[in-house]
Amino acid sequence: MGFLHLFIVNKSGGLILHRPLGQSAPRIGTNEWLRIGSTFHSLHAIAAEASPVKLPGNKNSAGADDGIEEIRGGGLILKCLQTRTGVKFVITAEPGTSDLDAVLREIYVLYSDCALV
Amino acid sequence: MTVHAFHIFDRKGKTLFTKRYSSIVKNQPVQDAELLSEQRKLIFGMLFSLRELVGSLTPEGESPALHSVRTGAGTLHCYETISGLRMALYTNNNPNMGSNARNLDTSKTSFQNALKHIYSELWVDCVVRSPLYRPGDIQVDGNGNDVGRFDIRSTNFEKKLDAYLASMPWFR
Repeated sequence: MGFLHLFIVNKSGGLILHRPLGQSAPRIGTNEWLRIGSTFHSLHAIAAEASPVKLPGNKNSAGADDGIEEIRGGGLILKCLQTRTGVKFVITAEPGTSDLDAVLREIYVLYSDCALV
Repeated sequence: MTVHAFHIFDRKGKTLFTKRYSSIVKNQPVQDAELLSEQRKLIFGMLFSLRELVGSLTPEGESPALHSVRTGAGTLHCYETISGLRMALYTNNNPNMGSNARNLDTSKTSFQNALKHIYSELWVDCVVRSPLYRPGDIQVDGNGNDVGRFDIRSTNFEKKLDAYLASMPWFR
């Protein structure tokens, strides 16, 4: 029950931050991270596009563009928080980790408090 | 919980079977065959890329596999066989599984089990084992109609699939 990675993608798909959060996080090089960031950015939008049912205006309940909120895989949970300005906060964790949504929201608050001057 | 659509793709991305279910989907503005076919290609490409992504993010020792993808509009459940056959099931987001909220985690695995059952008991038994079937013979055009040499309608697959999905507690 541990966190694996955190990454933040800006509204154009460029990577702002990536950092490992736990021991079992696989080691991933910077170039690979840049690739993961931009791939996720595009897939986030494509997932909303490919769905047979779309939300009105393609905006979710928080006013941000609809897209991937959660991915479950064997051995991995990935959660994404998209803000209204298009910044995506993505966290990966081992299955069974709880409160990932609350953690993401806290990270968003901390980011806007500290990193945005 | 409502099922919106169900697709089966082969290794190369060709659609082997597709069906749209709930009335929400049927009442969406009429999409022509071209658009639906494009949408299916998009789904396949997305599943492919997502699996690569999940594979690079998964820790050592765990087998990379994509189980489900959730967006605001709905959830996509996937199951991939060793031969590369991919099944994609679109549902909505509310797990109305009854009063037991602790089942939330196992509800995801029950979709995996359901898809596994659809593959091994329904697809393999009805289609692959059909005496008329040859791999590569299935072709589906934009509207989901079979145009290849092998017609899925000659098997029981669709009926059995509908019956199986209707028997699931989450189907409405």
